[in-house]
Amino acid sequence: MTITRINIGPVHPSTHGVLRLVVDIEGDTIVKVEPHIGYLHRGVEKLAETRMYMQIPPYTEKLDYVAPMSYDDAYVAAVEAALGVDVKERAQYVRVILLELQRIASHLFGIGAMCNDMGQMFTVFMWGFKDRDIVLKLLEDATGSRMFYVNMRLGGLVRDLPPGFEDEALEKLDYIDRRIKEYESYLEKNSIFMERTKGIGVLDTEAAINLGITGPPLRASGVDYDVRKNNPYYVYEKLHFSPMVLYSSDNFARYKIKIMEIKESIRLVREAFRLMPEGDALGMPVKLRSPDTKNRIVRVSRELPRGECVMYMVGDQQKPYRLSIRSPNFINLAALDEMSRGGRIADLFATMGSLDLVMGCVDR
Amino acid sequence: MTDEIANFIPSLLASPSLLYNVIGLVIYAVVVAIIFSLFSYVMGWLERKIIAKAQYRHGPTYVGKWGIFQNLADLVKLLSKEEIELDNADRLLFMAGIPLLVAAAIFTIFLLPLSPTMQATNLSFGILLVFVIIAFTPILLFIAAFSSGNKFADISAQRSVLILFSYEIPMILVIAAIALLAKGYNIQDIVGAQSPYYFAVLMPLGLVIMFIGMLAELERHPFDLREADSELIAGWLTDVSAPYYALALFLDYARVFMGSVLMAILFFGGWLGPPMIPLPGLFWLILKAFLIGIFIIFIRATAFRMRIDRVLRFGWSWLVPLSIINLIITYIIFVR
Repeated sequence: MTITRINIGPVHPSTHGVLRLVVDIEGDTIVKVEPHIGYLHRGVEKLAETRMYMQIPPYTEKLDYVAPMSYDDAYVAAVEAALGVDVKERAQYVRVILLELQRIASHLFGIGAMCNDMGQMFTVFMWGFKDRDIVLKLLEDATGSRMFYVNMRLGGLVRDLPPGFEDEALEKLDYIDRRIKEYESYLEKNSIFMERTKGIGVLDTEAAINLGITGPPLRASGVDYDVRKNNPYYVYEKLHFSPMVLYSSDNFARYKIKIMEIKESIRLVREAFRLMPEGDALGMPVKLRSPDTKNRIVRVSRELPRGECVMYMVGDQQKPYRLSIRSPNFINLAALDEMSRGGRIADLFATMGSLDLVMGCVDR
Repeated sequence: MTDEIANFIPSLLASPSLLYNVIGLVIYAVVVAIIFSLFSYVMGWLERKIIAKAQYRHGPTYVGKWGIFQNLADLVKLLSKEEIELDNADRLLFMAGIPLLVAAAIFTIFLLPLSPTMQATNLSFGILLVFVIIAFTPILLFIAAFSSGNKFADISAQRSVLILFSYEIPMILVIAAIALLAKGYNIQDIVGAQSPYYFAVLMPLGLVIMFIGMLAELERHPFDLREADSELIAGWLTDVSAPYYALALFLDYARVFMGSVLMAILFFGGWLGPPMIPLPGLFWLILKAFLIGIFIIFIRATAFRMRIDRVLRFGWSWLVPLSIINLIITYIIFVR
């Protein structure tokens, strides 16, 4: 049979932004998938070299616009490491709470988008959006803005959690918990959903490790690796946290791991609220710190909702000399060819949805 | 019956009151056009509202009460947009494809009687003729899609033809079972035979097969592989400009009308209603068609899209054997 080459994207309903795929198909079977990226390149790494340290978080958090808080935290943690600042204990708890809330919001979006890619008429997508909005409202209460927070400061946060936040958050999390069970019963009793996810887009453990993918796709391939556990930061050591691992390596595992992580995050937030000490969580004001970088080169690793982000920063007096970001999505995208080769063209999009790509993060 | 099929056209032409027939048919066509245009319009609005409800949205609210005129506004917008000429397209076929499809859909609607008195012709092979015209649809669809010269439209056309060909067989087998029950292919007879019990009660298996087959025939969810928006952008409509796109949307709803009226006639007693309520037969038929249409919309709001290989496997390994079993059961219980 002849091999047809079709071009998908960069403007296409389910390429999660501006991903362009050049796909070789033989009949209905995929021979090769070649991602072409760079349509959303904003030069954040280069831009960072021209800004002062605490002017950069607004740029880094726009990399992953579905989970901005995580990038905010990853960058500020790199600066903290470079300047040798310790984070206050209450601030550590608050950060964990906010990051886990952000993870819940991001995963809800990811599940909805994946169902949308499988041809579900936006219903689960809109459900995910509605529930995500409840979490975003919590984050808005805590930080003052709904989407791009810029809430981290050196050694702490811009503002402590508002009074009454804990009760409201716990109540909302109970609701999310119930909704997650609804999602599970709706999706996993749906034979078409199960059929289109089970055994599709398999990425075996060895390939997953060799490709260097991280985050939920890696854990769905049976590798017990989570930065929160293997290289713990903040108070993750004190909380009872264990990474979620599944071994079936297919689209279903990648969906299921998101559901499991949402449940685990809800549990983590509840526990963090219980253990959180009283005290001060405020960070240093932006301009009061004169930057005398003790550690010239720092490498900070954080578990983002989509995988491991590494901030590699060479510090300088006023601003970073060089900032290099290991984007989890960029590496995970490389696995798309391996996952979808030999599969059907219709499953390419489901597989892409299961990877939960954000193109802003891929292109940086 | 063979003679009648052979003499259909000659007898129509040789009829003494040909002129009256033609005038009557034209008037009837206008009435039917008004009915099914209104149905399509309300269906389009209902679809937006119901799906919005399922997704915690409001749907259209601005234009008119409850946004009832939103589709009209959309239509005006679509008609006022530019028509793009494609380099790769076979211009004549590309222009003719969608209008021909609409014509075929309207022709099937025209052949379906809407009440004991409202009908264009009363043929002894009426339901077969409807299915003959439905069988033309994949060919016309393939022409419309393939002539645009777009690869996505090409894939969409191939999928569409595969689905339509394989789902016609179980449907025709169910029609055969219905003909056993009604002792003929005349649509009036089919409805008349349902007066104590609807065929939905006598033949539940046939109802399920026919409904699934009809969903596939209309290519609604979960069989919407022709217009798989998350895979094929817009499938066969990828390169179609706005006025033709409006026509294609109208085609979809016209076919929903065709499908739901057909289902109502074949399984839910057509224009028969409860005898104590004196309402015209047309009312009951449209009501039943609406309920079936709303059920199709519910499925659209919840179902995932099936994959083409699975759709075909399901058709050939479940629906075809089941429809044969249905035929045998019907024969054993009701005929022998």
